[in-house]
Amino acid sequence: MNALLTTSVGSFPKPEYLTRARTKASKGELSPDGLRTLEEKATSEWIRFQEEIGIDILVDGEQYRGDMATYFAENIDGTEISGLVRSYGNRYYKKPIIVDELRRRGPISVDWFTFAQAQTKRPVKGMITGPYTMMDWSFDEYYGSRADACFAFAKLLHDEAVALEAAGAKVVQVDEPALSTRFDELPLLVRAVGIVTKGLKAKTVLHTCYGNYNEIFDYFNKLPVDQLDLEMSNSGLDLLDRFKREPLKKEIAFGVVDVHSHVIEPESLIRERIEKALTIFSPSKLFIDPDCGLKTRSVDEARIKLRNMVVAAHAVRTAHGLT
Amino acid sequence: MVRTTVVGTYPRIGETSEEQALRRGIARLDRGEIVEAELQAIERDTVRQVLREQNEIGIDLVTDGQISWYDSQSHFAGKLVSVETNGLVRYFDTNTYYRQPVVRGAVAWKGPVLADDWKFAQANSKVPVKAVLTGPVTLASLALDKHYRSKKALALDLATAVGEEVGSLVQAGASNVQIDEPILTRYPGDLTLVSEALERIRSHKARSTLTLFTFFGDVAAIYKDLGDAPADILGLDLVQRSATWPVLAKHGSTKPLVLGLDLVQGSATWPVLAKHGSTKPLVLGLIDARNTREEDPAAIAKKALELKGAVDLKASYLSPSNGLEFLPRDRARRKLQILRTAAQKAGVGA
Repeated sequence: MNALLTTSVGSFPKPEYLTRARTKASKGELSPDGLRTLEEKATSEWIRFQEEIGIDILVDGEQYRGDMATYFAENIDGTEISGLVRSYGNRYYKKPIIVDELRRRGPISVDWFTFAQAQTKRPVKGMITGPYTMMDWSFDEYYGSRADACFAFAKLLHDEAVALEAAGAKVVQVDEPALSTRFDELPLLVRAVGIVTKGLKAKTVLHTCYGNYNEIFDYFNKLPVDQLDLEMSNSGLDLLDRFKREPLKKEIAFGVVDVHSHVIEPESLIRERIEKALTIFSPSKLFIDPDCGLKTRSVDEARIKLRNMVVAAHAVRTAHGLT
Repeated sequence: MVRTTVVGTYPRIGETSEEQALRRGIARLDRGEIVEAELQAIERDTVRQVLREQNEIGIDLVTDGQISWYDSQSHFAGKLVSVETNGLVRYFDTNTYYRQPVVRGAVAWKGPVLADDWKFAQANSKVPVKAVLTGPVTLASLALDKHYRSKKALALDLATAVGEEVGSLVQAGASNVQIDEPILTRYPGDLTLVSEALERIRSHKARSTLTLFTFFGDVAAIYKDLGDAPADILGLDLVQRSATWPVLAKHGSTKPLVLGLDLVQGSATWPVLAKHGSTKPLVLGLIDARNTREEDPAAIAKKALELKGAVDLKASYLSPSNGLEFLPRDRARRKLQILRTAAQKAGVGA
């Protein structure tokens, strides 16, 4: 029986040599091929690490990405990239600007999926930045309508999802961190994600984080995906009671590790969180992962957090006779 | 002449090495390579840059860009008695986050938070610098209240603290003070509480001009009553959450329905404003500070002039719809140039 399978949300921190290389490449001091070689090296290292600690469903670690929306926009016709805009604290990102009709130039993330999947026999997730997030995190100088921009992204991202599936992805994850931005636009998000996932045979996952889940709860079962991937430990697991009253009709990937804290959660605390989740969700529908991508942690912090998470999940499996 | 102002924030960094000094400085502080006083010197250099840019473009009433603020909530609330700061929470419908203040007891003002920064900014500006504070009802709404269990009680104690802060700013020399209450665009029913809170603040304002600014949406439903709020000037976001959006959301059209300035014209506040006018001077947020698309200054001027006769345009200001930190630095500058040109064109007609 597949129970309490472990996975990750998407990003891992970049090793020092890759961070330095990206800086050099941005100044034209390193060729694109030279950078690619190091991105592949870092990706292979993360794949090996995930295998070594026993994660069940792997990610490529997004070593080739800066920002999740910007990376996709850079590979879509009809966009430009803006100067830096602040997110919080000292963190900035470059926002896409929609300047013309959006068109898929070619595969966006398929190449990296193929590279990562070739390194392991375990499944690797195909990763797509969702249409609502792409729209919400872009400036729009062309469509003049949030709905139109969102649907334009959805149509081309559907082609990307189909291409990932054709390349062998058994799991396709749509990242929608902007999901809880505007509650009145949730119907738009549901329609747009539905366009992306339409007709896919691969397992589909929607990841979101850092929102007021109580406000969006009613939409969880309406999201057109097989699995919901939620940040849970940062929000104090306070949604569990609501899930008890109003059951989720999908699988859940349950975040048990806070990705924005330097504090390394001990295995015992993670075990407690999984045990709490098990009081609500059946083990075959409960997946264990960090709250969100780990890219803001150091490589060492990310590795320890992941290792503790897997050890805790295995301990709970054993305790419940689920192995 | 129609005057120009900004709403508050300004992009902290730009694309050039000089414009990125603050980002590098914070990273160096985090790594223990510099001390707090050295970072403050870098912050102040950034404030000088920000003021220089606004001065060069010709903005009539400027701000320090709120450069030293971590965010709109924790910077002031986090320095009050009984308030701690917690994890990150999304700030309205933006892709930015604030550290949530957690109220664990009766809040009280400890001492001036903004006065030194204001004095520094004014000493480095050719035109008046407006002091900007987040309003008590927005602070109360976005905080985690573990003590009062009553938004009104918390908001009124926060209003007392904001009032003390306003008093210290006025004593430092500030002649223009702005209170931001974006929460009114989400909960228009809070207007009564906002007015009650403003009464407490007004008692500290002395001869300074007090502006109440609402942004991130429209205030059409409460526009008529907003005029009775105890403030000298009202600031309105005339861009976001336009009246056209519900139509789009309902019908889900895949064809472009609104373009460019139509979004501005579609603001739900606009028709009410045009109909009822205003007995108070206004800050007209007609430039979209959340999108890079450039407005036509002539069209903005024409729009403003539609209010001639209903609003005292000579006592009013044109402004961006909200703080400029949601734009890259170069685009923010461009928006201010458009604003200035629009105001000059409107001035001819006014």
